Amino acid sequence: MKRARLFGMLILFAAGIGALLLFPHIGGAQTSRRGTPAPPYNPYPPGILPPDLTSEIARVRSEVASIENEALAEWAGLPPPTLTGQPPTLQGTGQRANQLLGKLMNFDENISPFKNRACGFCHMPYAGFSGPIASVNLTMVAYPGSYEFRAGKRTAQRYTYAPFFPVLNYNETQGLFFGGNFWDSRATGYLLGSPDAEQAQHPPVDTQEHALPDTACIAFRLTTAAYRPLFETVWGAGSLNINFPQNAETICDTPGGASQFGGSATPINLTAEDRTKANNVFDHWGNSLDQYEASPDVSAFSSKFDAYTKSKYTLTADEMAGMELFNGKGNCNSCHIDGRGTTATVLNPGFNPDHSKTADVTPKFTCFGSANEGLPLNPRDAIYYQNTPDFFGFTANPDGFGFRDLGMGSFLRGVAAPNPNSNWTPFAPATDGQFQVSSARNVAMTPSQCPTTEAGSTPYFQKGFFHNGYIKSLKQLVHFYNTRDVYPFNVTSGNCPAGTIEKVNCWPMPEVKNNIDMTTGKLGLTDKEEDQIVAFLQTLTDGFTRFYPDSDKFTGTCMTCNPATDPDCTPSRQGNRSLIQTPPLPACGSDICGVSPVPKPPIP
Amino acid sequence: MNKLILKLAITAASGSLISFIPMAAQVSPTTHKAARVRIIQGPELELVKEYLTIIRWTTNNPGGSPEHYGIVHYGIDPKNLSQTAKSPIRLNPDHASTIFRVRLEDLKPGTTYYYTVGSMEANGTDDGTKSAIKQFSTPGESQRAGR
Repeated sequence: MKRARLFGMLILFAAGIGALLLFPHIGGAQTSRRGTPAPPYNPYPPGILPPDLTSEIARVRSEVASIENEALAEWAGLPPPTLTGQPPTLQGTGQRANQLLGKLMNFDENISPFKNRACGFCHMPYAGFSGPIASVNLTMVAYPGSYEFRAGKRTAQRYTYAPFFPVLNYNETQGLFFGGNFWDSRATGYLLGSPDAEQAQHPPVDTQEHALPDTACIAFRLTTAAYRPLFETVWGAGSLNINFPQNAETICDTPGGASQFGGSATPINLTAEDRTKANNVFDHWGNSLDQYEASPDVSAFSSKFDAYTKSKYTLTADEMAGMELFNGKGNCNSCHIDGRGTTATVLNPGFNPDHSKTADVTPKFTCFGSANEGLPLNPRDAIYYQNTPDFFGFTANPDGFGFRDLGMGSFLRGVAAPNPNSNWTPFAPATDGQFQVSSARNVAMTPSQCPTTEAGSTPYFQKGFFHNGYIKSLKQLVHFYNTRDVYPFNVTSGNCPAGTIEKVNCWPMPEVKNNIDMTTGKLGLTDKEEDQIVAFLQTLTDGFTRFYPDSDKFTGTCMTCNPATDPDCTPSRQGNRSLIQTPPLPACGSDICGVSPVPKPPIP
Repeated sequence: MNKLILKLAITAASGSLISFIPMAAQVSPTTHKAARVRIIQGPELELVKEYLTIIRWTTNNPGGSPEHYGIVHYGIDPKNLSQTAKSPIRLNPDHASTIFRVRLEDLKPGTTYYYTVGSMEANGTDDGTKSAIKQFSTPGESQRAGR
């Protein structure tokens, strides 16, 4: 039986690969309503979309297909678990089956109207499960969704360690929010008990990402998935037996936000019983993806730092110095908590971080909180240009440059997403501009062919840091924390005064001035000390103690530059050639800044 | 040895012998509330620009909520400090002292301001510190034009 299933799967793979070779645009044709061509949405001025975007999309889709096929092969070789006991448990391989189901769904392009976007498209393993296209990270920041070229507004946040964030809660004693997923914490975990699982539910129905118009489309597409038997093994026989109407395919082929849906979130007409089943499938989608992201496939605890805590690796002098700065002068671990040095001992009464006992052997390098670090508005962000209707009558951002990203504040007001707890709403003004403190783990992860994020004499992989991708290297990231308040200028990005260099000795004004965290901004670090913190951050990359799964799937080209001839070929000035002038900014849109309780002070 | 004793004394005096309660989700560790929070340096002007002033001061680690607010009460009349600016910072349980820094924005150029500083936990509990009234002047229009 097992051999037969394996043989069947091999045929399926071969057919899939063959189809991909013969029809490279299979699934990618942007049509709607059975054959109506949907021209690409391109409201962008020249230079906003990177010139290699089309080829890079094809490259990543090919890599996604490769991982999906390997996951199918792993499933084919997985002994079936046995449902037994009370409560019934999938004994034996049940946990791996669930993780593998999550992986298969993560790299399934069919979960999008045009069958061209998987979750993994924006979250590839070799980039720490963040954005895999260097040119996108350098320019438009947000990734193009299933209907090209709609795009979101923020960088693709790393999956790694996201499952460890607690359910969003407001701790009255501490006066603070903890937990949630997404940059703005809008995946709260209020229903499934897991912010990560609820995070996984958002992109498939986000109008600018996968853009399925109805959550039931996930169940609909899973009914024809090659791994449907695995879904039914994990979540029960018959779990996908839903009576879909004949027009379900037409509906699911049309991106969300299309005017024809009239604003309906449930355009597929289902009976109450079938709608409940589809909702259950939607929840299980989140559950299994969460289990994949929590597994060692994604959250591996296999970095140099992890080896160091087990005395299996000796930090270099710079890495050690960086760790002490991370905990000391740099004060990074006030938020990116590393679990070390929290116990002063009699023998070591000072606060040298590396002479006390390890308080947590698996530190997550986050405080699970949020902060406004005062990032400047990034005028390259694709969101600002999507202020006209697309072919389907959808406008992502009617405010254009009047859009302000208030982060958690907008979520608590119910602007960015529904807020499931009205008791939180009054806290919106105190959280305007705040974004999640991501785990620092894997911030430096790159494909092995491009061994660094930092421009210089070796090939590098361009990443975008923070929620809006304004920062282009780890050196810049540390320098920003170090000097934001040393070189502040009352200008927007691209408009630094003559004689200054943006990101070196000119930091444009924050996009949101409210609630700026002042823990950092003037740390007094030397240039060398900044580099040492970068060296420490690089020890947090998984894959040192053992191979990091699928980290070898990158088939693209590294970025290169010549520091001898190119003044921007340094981590400090990396990406500066792509800076553009921020236009004069209109007032913040009333649909953002005019919603009660309004920001205090008002945001211009 | 003397250095060791000194460090112990400083640590004990600052009330910041650190206690960390391992938590399943490793949320921000809290530090024991200091018996007394006192300003040990400043307040002083870190930055004075036409549009932005930053005031900083250092206290012993106040402990308590992981997030604190530095608070500046200010105004143009030393007897009526009617305006308030506050900025959040995160305590580092590992540090004996804490630097508070507060941003004052949208000030009038060429104007003398008076201020006092203090701090509180994120839940509103006052740390019980308050500085004497100090003053600063923002650069005037002519200075701005020359920059």
